[in-house]
Amino acid sequence: MLHEPDLALHIEDLTVSYHSKPVLWDIDLNVPPGVLAAIVGPNGAGKTTLIKSVLGLVKPAAGHITLFGRSYREQRRLVGYVPQRASVDWDFPTTVLDVVMMGLYGQLGWLRRPGRRQREQALVALAQVGMEHYAGRQISQLSGGQQQRVFLARALVQDAALYLMDEPLAGVDATTEQAIITLLKTLRSQGKTVIVVHHDLQTVASYFDFLVLLNVRLIAQGPMSEVYTGDNLRRAYGGQIALLREAEHARA
Amino acid sequence: MLELDFTIRTVALGAVLLGITSGVLGSFAVLRQQSLLGETLSHAALPGICLGFLLAGGRQLGPLLLGALLSGALAALLVLLFIRRSRLKTDAALGIVLSVFFAVGIVLLTYIANQDHAGQAGLDAFLFGQAAAMLPSDVALMAWITILALALVLVFWKEFKAVSFDPGYSVSLGLPVLALEVLMTLMVALAIVIGLQLVGVVLMAAMLIAPAAAARQWTKGLGSMVALAALFGAVSGLAGALVSASARGLATGPLIVIAASLLVAASLLLAPERGLLPAAWRAYRARRKLPQQRVLIDLYRLAVAHQDPGYPIEQGMLASLYGFDPGAVLAQLRRQGWIRPLSHEPTEQAHWALTEAGYRQAAELWGR
Repeated sequence: MLHEPDLALHIEDLTVSYHSKPVLWDIDLNVPPGVLAAIVGPNGAGKTTLIKSVLGLVKPAAGHITLFGRSYREQRRLVGYVPQRASVDWDFPTTVLDVVMMGLYGQLGWLRRPGRRQREQALVALAQVGMEHYAGRQISQLSGGQQQRVFLARALVQDAALYLMDEPLAGVDATTEQAIITLLKTLRSQGKTVIVVHHDLQTVASYFDFLVLLNVRLIAQGPMSEVYTGDNLRRAYGGQIALLREAEHARA
Repeated sequence: MLELDFTIRTVALGAVLLGITSGVLGSFAVLRQQSLLGETLSHAALPGICLGFLLAGGRQLGPLLLGALLSGALAALLVLLFIRRSRLKTDAALGIVLSVFFAVGIVLLTYIANQDHAGQAGLDAFLFGQAAAMLPSDVALMAWITILALALVLVFWKEFKAVSFDPGYSVSLGLPVLALEVLMTLMVALAIVIGLQLVGVVLMAAMLIAPAAAARQWTKGLGSMVALAALFGAVSGLAGALVSASARGLATGPLIVIAASLLVAASLLLAPERGLLPAAWRAYRARRKLPQQRVLIDLYRLAVAHQDPGYPIEQGMLASLYGFDPGAVLAQLRRQGWIRPLSHEPTEQAHWALTEAGYRQAAELWGR
């Protein structure tokens, strides 16, 4: 049975707690398809937890989540995930191309090894992030921005309809940031939905067209022009005045 | 040619098989940052061995190893439970489970020692291993377990790789990550069980960690790391068995571990890219080169300023720039063919100009 099939992501009454303390409380969220959405909120707001709940990586205490009308379990093939860069050990003995091909392991199935076709797909994805010359490189020799682009390529190779990205712009230089944003906008123009955990209030309005403000509870959601208001930001960030002043400045 | 008698051949073959299995499985454990899990599982095997002895009423290998496997699995389960259900971090959970199980094991061991059991003396051999007690049937069992472990690693190669590198992402791909992790842990427990007789519960973890840690130093890919760890494990096993056979009173298990540790030490020191000595050598070379590069760049900038690649620069001018006479550095640069001396009328002082190769080299250095 389809539930809210017109929404790329539909979350109802989601509550998640760690050690009986809620990190997400009663979240209702609807993201339409084809948007470039940012999830923004202060530290500890539950941004990463929200993404992990969608992917089934954390178990919610209550609520349900559907993607294009069906549960994540049924729609797994439609979802590409970009975890936080720091979540893995980059000293793992493997190459860039190998990591990108991991994006195809789910589709390959048991016992099958990645072959020539998978290599070619991975190389195409690497070219999309401008890393085609690094295919044979050890991942331990990559800079932070290059690691991030490898993770992006690994998700791109999945050819998903919905991308969930956890801080893809954290700790990358300005050039890489622009390259990644261009890539995200290309994905949107291909009709894909991209949901990104973002931390920079100054750039959020120019990069994204849909905004989700989060602070344990859902503060506001909707098109950027409607939601990106000083009032909403104040409600999300509470007393963190300095941040807000910067954001006001950016908006002016 | 060494004359190998039957016992030594049996022990050596067993040690090689153990080295292969623990090298392969240890690679995944080390990469998953679970080196200490092996330590906990092997210590936790002791109460199982003792219970197996008590229930079977004697020192039969089957019940002993089954007991070891079961108590090891129970310990692994408890660790997982502690991590998921309490606020204990992984290291604390491993430490607590290790010490409790080992303490219970020692209590049971001393209890058995005070009973009037036949063959009780053989039981404490499981603490440090007793290679001489190995039978050909034990080696056959080890061979089967080695084949099983290698087959599983081959079958689930890409899944094990993905789960070891990025378990969260592997879940999002639809891989049964928990089941794969349980399988890997179970295989480590199996490797420990076959190592108990040879190396003992106290030192067994070293067999999982040492070959893998040594192999990591030399390799760039998972496949080569696993293969090299298997080779290092096999070599350590063989070396330990042969050395202990060369004289009386040398325990095989600890010798195997020492052999593996020597490989680790050598790898940490010598591996070309990650080793300490090559790194020190590279640093030394770079330090020596620094003054040369500095002088080369200064010559280049002067040449550019005068719009003449072959512009002759007086040595005294460089001396006043640096505050000392750079004659030795200039001689080194000349030996490398990057500068040439020339005379420049009317002064008598030495002059230097960049050669074509030196100009290119300096331009590259300056552009970096």
